[in-house]
Amino acid sequence: MKPENAIEVHNITKKFKVYLDKGHTLKERTLFSKRRKFENREVLKGISFEVKKGEAIGLIGHNGCGKSTTLKMLTKIMYPDSGTIEMNGRVSSLIELGAGFHPDMSGRENIYINASIFGLTKKEIEERIDSIIEFSELEDFIDNPVRTYSSGMYMRLAFAVAINVDADILLIDEILAVGDVAFQAKCFNRLRQIKSEGTTIVIVSHSLSQLELICDRSIWIHEGVIKEEGAPFDVHPKYMSFMANNTLSKAKDKQDKKKEESKKEEKKAVEEKPEEAKTEEAAENTEETKKPEDSNRWGSNEIVMNSVTVTDEKGVERDTFLNTEPIYINIGYDNPGKIDNSVVGVAIYRDDKVHIYGTNTLIDMSKTLPLKDKGTITLILDRIPVNAGNYIFDLAFHKPDGFNYDFWRDVFRLRINNVKGEAGAISIEHSWKSE
Amino acid sequence: MIKRIKEIYAYRTMIYSLVKRDLKGRYKGSVLGFLWTFINPLFQLLIYTFVFSIVLHSDVKDYYMFLFVALIPWIFFSTSLAGGSTCITSQKNMVQKIYFPREVLPISFVTSQFVNMLLSFIVIFAVMLIARYTFNPLALLCLIPVMLTEYILALGFTFILSAVTVYFQDMQFIMGILTMAWQFLSPIMYSQERVPVEFRAIYMYVNPMAPIIIAYRDILYYGRVPELATLLSALLMGILLFVIGWITFDKMQKHFVEEM
Repeated sequence: MKPENAIEVHNITKKFKVYLDKGHTLKERTLFSKRRKFENREVLKGISFEVKKGEAIGLIGHNGCGKSTTLKMLTKIMYPDSGTIEMNGRVSSLIELGAGFHPDMSGRENIYINASIFGLTKKEIEERIDSIIEFSELEDFIDNPVRTYSSGMYMRLAFAVAINVDADILLIDEILAVGDVAFQAKCFNRLRQIKSEGTTIVIVSHSLSQLELICDRSIWIHEGVIKEEGAPFDVHPKYMSFMANNTLSKAKDKQDKKKEESKKEEKKAVEEKPEEAKTEEAAENTEETKKPEDSNRWGSNEIVMNSVTVTDEKGVERDTFLNTEPIYINIGYDNPGKIDNSVVGVAIYRDDKVHIYGTNTLIDMSKTLPLKDKGTITLILDRIPVNAGNYIFDLAFHKPDGFNYDFWRDVFRLRINNVKGEAGAISIEHSWKSE
Repeated sequence: MIKRIKEIYAYRTMIYSLVKRDLKGRYKGSVLGFLWTFINPLFQLLIYTFVFSIVLHSDVKDYYMFLFVALIPWIFFSTSLAGGSTCITSQKNMVQKIYFPREVLPISFVTSQFVNMLLSFIVIFAVMLIARYTFNPLALLCLIPVMLTEYILALGFTFILSAVTVYFQDMQFIMGILTMAWQFLSPIMYSQERVPVEFRAIYMYVNPMAPIIIAYRDILYYGRVPELATLLSALLMGILLFVIGWITFDKMQKHFVEEM
């Protein structure tokens, strides 16, 4: 194992027996042994990666692609059929929250139980208990039985324990959606702090935006192999456009299948159910051959951006601005799907992929914009208070729940220049005073 | 193996808190609370006294005591087996999601049953004191190795049964029947001397619980030091089953999550 690495995974594979009808009892096992058919499903077909100490990586992929299985093997809940996993340091996993909680016991007692399950000794728990209680914000209720807690309080306590288990390697599975928005932000900040202290982090999540905020690298697992690996900023658009195409072609295949079926039914009145597995396989094959047209752009195309121009207040198109000047972004759109509930959003990145700013119409006005069949939306930025650099703009039309009509990454880039020679990432309004 | 033991030792707080949770949580919410731990064996003793001293006259002197000193250790053993067989499957959520040495679950289950037995012994000692039994200090000292032997034996069995139950759910129900038969095949309600001589060797050396029960009765009922042969055979069988149990458990635990 290389000294700079915290995790090394070498070519691991895993097969599951998927029982079509699993018999657990004696009768089922002996009498119907022939009925107990199972197929071996290869979930992981040889995955290798390394994680450096202090690095945060995200595992992404659609449901059943093997990302959670990979995480379970890192946790040592499961073991690979072949290949090796080497880890260097104390491992802690935030996969299950509130394990071992007893409803009749007090919050304080449950902290002891729960933390001990994470492998902490009594002494270690006593060292942490104050910061756990403080983090959970449950000081006034900590000696009440947990059954009197609201579900939000319960999760807060559980998360407070989990996040305070110091580890060299932290494994997280889709649990950042805890509590209210303020508590979520707190958890996230704590996670960042943990990262900055040098902890290695592996996260499985469907929330790409969360991953972008914390991960240095994303690993995209598709059907048991690594399909793409790199900076989240580069990998996620490819993943998103792949997924968008996938859903579209699946929907199309379903329609085709229905047509075929109805034809078949016309021909033969009596026929068994078609072998779904086979048709699905065929569907997947067609998906593989289809190449995404533009890996920077994805969505259902029910709304399409057809022209984007950037101008100053006089209407002159420009690509360089001072950081004191207003910027007008004019987005021309077609609305063939006659959608009237679209959110319009913008995200700004510096060209080293640091996320500078993001907002949308829902955040700003807590409603969606009325749209016509065809029209132009103008976003006016009074000024961009950043220091000199190149900035990348993303634009999107999407549903309030995140479903994309048209998401366009890297629509245009602007050069922003300083008026003065200030230093740092942003430009702060300020004045001096001397007495 | 050394590494494994070290790891289990590192999780000692987990064992401690699971035992505590089990003992404290069991009677939480009831009015008498922890007192139930004593009330249960006490009432059992009263019922036996009524049945065997008043209804069914037995030739054995103080039959209720004769039975009780064997029954309390037996209840520890049989609940460890019958209840312990589900100690992995009943914690499915935890096992599927969190890593910890799986041995922790059977160990804490058996330990919490063991502590329960120790508490019941307070009742035994109290009754012995009231009924003016003689306390033989040397014999009482032997109680420690006998208890530890039974603990190891129960743990060995629970290792095997809890692991098998993950793969084969019937095991828990089979164990319910089996422990009942086992109880009648052990010298709990009768003395081993009632067993015909030609069967006695098999009776004593095939059933690992026989020498243990005999030792308990020697110490508490007869107030004498058990025979060394009895103690040794109990200890050997205990260690043997413990080792077999642990190795079996270790082999099977790698696929627990997939089988659940």
